[in-house]
Amino acid sequence: MNFVYDDNNKYHRFGKTCLIVALSLIMFVEIWWILSLLANTNVFPNPAETFEALIDFINNGYSHQSSASIIWSSLSLFIEGFLLALVVAVPLGLFLGYSKGLNTFVTPMIEVLRPIAPIAWAPVFIYGINYSVGPILVVFIGIFFPLLTNIIFGVKKIDQSLIDAAKTLGANRTQVFVKVMVPSAIPYLMNGIKVGLGVGWMCIVAAEMYSPVSIGVGYCLSSMCQNSLWPSVFAILIVIAIMGILTTSVSEYLQKRIAKRMGIE
Amino acid sequence: MSAETIEEGKDFIVIDNIRKVYKKDDTETVAIDQFDLTIKKGELISLIGPSGCGKTTILRMIAGLLEPTEGTITIAGKECKEPGADRGVVFQDFALFPWRSVRKNVEFGMEVAGVPKDERRERADEYIELVGLGDFKNSKIQELSGGMKQRVGIARALVNHPDVILMDEPFGALDAQTRNIMQNQLVQILEKTEQTIIFITHSVDEALFLSDRVVILSKRPSRIKEIVEIPWERPRDRAGPEFTALRKRILEDLEKENVMFHH
Repeated sequence: MNFVYDDNNKYHRFGKTCLIVALSLIMFVEIWWILSLLANTNVFPNPAETFEALIDFINNGYSHQSSASIIWSSLSLFIEGFLLALVVAVPLGLFLGYSKGLNTFVTPMIEVLRPIAPIAWAPVFIYGINYSVGPILVVFIGIFFPLLTNIIFGVKKIDQSLIDAAKTLGANRTQVFVKVMVPSAIPYLMNGIKVGLGVGWMCIVAAEMYSPVSIGVGYCLSSMCQNSLWPSVFAILIVIAIMGILTTSVSEYLQKRIAKRMGIE
Repeated sequence: MSAETIEEGKDFIVIDNIRKVYKKDDTETVAIDQFDLTIKKGELISLIGPSGCGKTTILRMIAGLLEPTEGTITIAGKECKEPGADRGVVFQDFALFPWRSVRKNVEFGMEVAGVPKDERRERADEYIELVGLGDFKNSKIQELSGGMKQRVGIARALVNHPDVILMDEPFGALDAQTRNIMQNQLVQILEKTEQTIIFITHSVDEALFLSDRVVILSKRPSRIKEIVEIPWERPRDRAGPEFTALRKRILEDLEKENVMFHH
């Protein structure tokens, strides 16, 4: 065979990347296996046991619920929290970025609330408000702040000469806002979404642990731990990881596409 | 004086005793002082002077992006206080909207003025052709070279038929060769549109090649040092004896202002 690797060939580069990723994952499984052997405890199952439990979870679900309905239960809370965050953070961020006075007024309130870990709100919202709305609000908090700060940053970072250009082309204040500031902020909005989705996904798992009505992945996790079903626990962790990777990949893909479309690469 | 009574050759833009003072904390900087200038319709006038002498400040005041501390600027009898579509601006850094295509950039002014879509497109295309970008109507801004970007900037200003186009070192960010091409093209466009233009540059060569009159400014606080009439037909010969002699004379005058200049 006469194969010569060519770094300028995109198929060769892709092949190389795949190879490295595969090696990385194999190494990960190997290290996991060795550590579980060393630990020698039921709490830390090896990859084979976990894989078996994962297949069992996918086929049979848990606690009379199918795996699809468990995943969808978490996913729907996540989507609702995300949409709520989007609806509130986008207009608020745009106005706060636009109006200096309003920003100075609102920033202290935001800065007081922002350092509170979103998960700290979980018991407050779930026991204090409602079992079904509570988890959504926790996701909302998790996504809201990264989204808001990114949008404000985006509006502030806008190229002043673009605003000048729009004004000298006859745009009024509203038109400058809609046709210049909003599109300029979109790549930053996408960055906020990317960060927010990561945080939001962590929040939903944590919030569900407190919620007795949502039979999602978080509920499964705590229930399985209480029943010492350790291989299943690890299977759920893998499900959570995969869902997280999927949401991040989708948002990263969208971010790149939109950045390209908006002329910022 | 109303717009209808203004004919070519009459005073069209009147800059009357402008003074601009920047205040920061307790220090005051006088950027421009006792600045008087009248510009005729269809004239191309260049402002030239040392870096930081306030050329851009004057332009921004005419554009309505800055307010003079004292004095008034009127165009066709109307005072310029706010920015408006009657004064187009071509920016040194192009200031094109990167999320819009070439055509959509050129359409912006008509879009905010509520011109119907079909008419907008037709007029935009006409001016994109005029600046020689006919094959790039749907291109993205980031696909264009610097020279092409500035042609979009010029088309975007021309298409609205403003009373005056203010050009702030429009070719300053371009390489020497592209700059010459752009200057030649501007002369051609000028013949077709008879557009009134105020042009800022720090290149004497550029000012002599393009202008009907060259206004030479002093160091800060900026005053008018001299106004040179350039009566020659266009296109001009940059290497001709009159051209080189006048360039030499202006450069010597400017060097007395103690500042280095581009040739």
